[in-house]
Amino acid sequence: MVYDEPYRWVEAVRNRRDYLEEQLSAGSPIVALPYENGVLMATLGAGTSKLYEVYDQIAFGGIGHPADLEKLRNVVLDAAHVEGFNRSPVDVTVRRLMKFILAPMVKQAFEEVLHAPYIAKIVMAEIGILSAKPLFFHLNYDGVFEEEERGVVLAPTAPMSERMAAFLNAAGETHSLSLKEALQIALRTWAVSQLPADLEAEKEAGAPPSPKELDPLLKRSLESHTLEAALLDRTQPGSSKYRTLSHDEIEQALKGWLK
Amino acid sequence: MHNGDFWSLLKTNGYKLGPGTLPEGREPVESKIALTQGTTIFGLKYKEGVLVAGDRRATAGTTVMYDRTDKVLEIDRHSVMAIAGVPATAFEIARVMEHTFKYYRRSQLQELSLEGKVRALSKLLKENIPMAIQGIGAVAPIYAAYDVARKEGKLFFYDILGAGFEAVEFTTSGSGSPAIRGILQYENRWGKRPLAELSEEAAITLTMRLLETAAEFDAATGGSNREAHLYPVIKLVTMEGVREIPQKTLESLYARNVVGRSTAGEPGLGIG
Repeated sequence: MVYDEPYRWVEAVRNRRDYLEEQLSAGSPIVALPYENGVLMATLGAGTSKLYEVYDQIAFGGIGHPADLEKLRNVVLDAAHVEGFNRSPVDVTVRRLMKFILAPMVKQAFEEVLHAPYIAKIVMAEIGILSAKPLFFHLNYDGVFEEEERGVVLAPTAPMSERMAAFLNAAGETHSLSLKEALQIALRTWAVSQLPADLEAEKEAGAPPSPKELDPLLKRSLESHTLEAALLDRTQPGSSKYRTLSHDEIEQALKGWLK
Repeated sequence: MHNGDFWSLLKTNGYKLGPGTLPEGREPVESKIALTQGTTIFGLKYKEGVLVAGDRRATAGTTVMYDRTDKVLEIDRHSVMAIAGVPATAFEIARVMEHTFKYYRRSQLQELSLEGKVRALSKLLKENIPMAIQGIGAVAPIYAAYDVARKEGKLFFYDILGAGFEAVEFTTSGSGSPAIRGILQYENRWGKRPLAELSEEAAITLTMRLLETAAEFDAATGGSNREAHLYPVIKLVTMEGVREIPQKTLESLYARNVVGRSTAGEPGLGIG
């Protein structure tokens, strides 16, 4: 098929949207939210890492094709390090990386219909060095990004994303929560993705799913998946604030919960 | 992709270390400008890891440029680089190192090996040879790290051409170093106990006395300044990571153990 006639362009974009939705549909969601010492990001997966350190105070997570994610991650990484070296680590901000580097690149690839798009959705989080508030961005495969202060979810489909975001919002402000509390909210938010979609649609809008509905799903998922959790932890010594949660810390946080 | 090599990433972005070499055909001449220099640094292995210290004076000729220089620079969670020589080049090298290790860790998803880190500093010093032989940018650093896998502190020193050597017990660099090198050797061999068995407090006390001695015999080395509450920079590299000893702690140790004579009642330093 030839897409170089102008009136066919819209059709081509629609096709590739369908293609990308299809490709991404099996991805496991990522939840990122503020907690008392910074930012927590969590996901359950099949073992392949989804969360990464990008710079001293910036974390990166993505769902999609591993090779595409790796390429985008490397672009952000290179830009951040050259900037941090030439200017200062303080000048490396998630906002600039997203607005001037990542989003334009992803949008361009999406719209060049004769070339392959990136099969990727990305979330980035930052704890400010100079400002105290964490900042979150999520980026769609077409280059559309959004900025958030309260935490974000990155889910393969838009309806799933909405349901999860609604649940996370209903949990209220998480800025002052302990790591354990924040991890529980993150995991329950993740579990919303496991609710059957038709069941959700039947229910009247309003009430978010209860822990009673979510916890059994979560428990089952935790048995079959690997929990991956990373922090931007302001209390870390040195300049790099990213760290992954150790096995022991996860055990500790889950102990006595989800009986 | 750059295989985690930050240096080549910098180069593709047009970066050069230092101000560059002389124009073609120009002979290097003895510098007429008094360059800013950093002096006395040293490192020793003690009970829990490695201690690295430096005085805080930077001089240009006979002028004291600055009395608050930090010559012991944290490179990553488990390593520091101490600098003697021209700060302009040294700070730059330290910055490249810091980003090199971070970049490697984040892009390759594993920590660069200690051997790789030691080698990275050699490579940067080699890049700096043109500057060093023109007499305007020589650096002779010390690199100290804690090898978490092997659970031991490691200590390396370099010449200005980039040769790296591993120090077994201690090492010194800078113009004040001859004054204290002998003391370290003496203390390690005939002192109450070898350096490797010193407690943290004993190692810090010895360090303050050594730098005081270096300052006594070398005009380019700054001593402690009690009026201004200025003491040497002392950093410890242990299993837990890099830790700087607060000036307040140094102040009380100084008052207790450095001013006046040792009360230990034994010949020698009475450290232990």
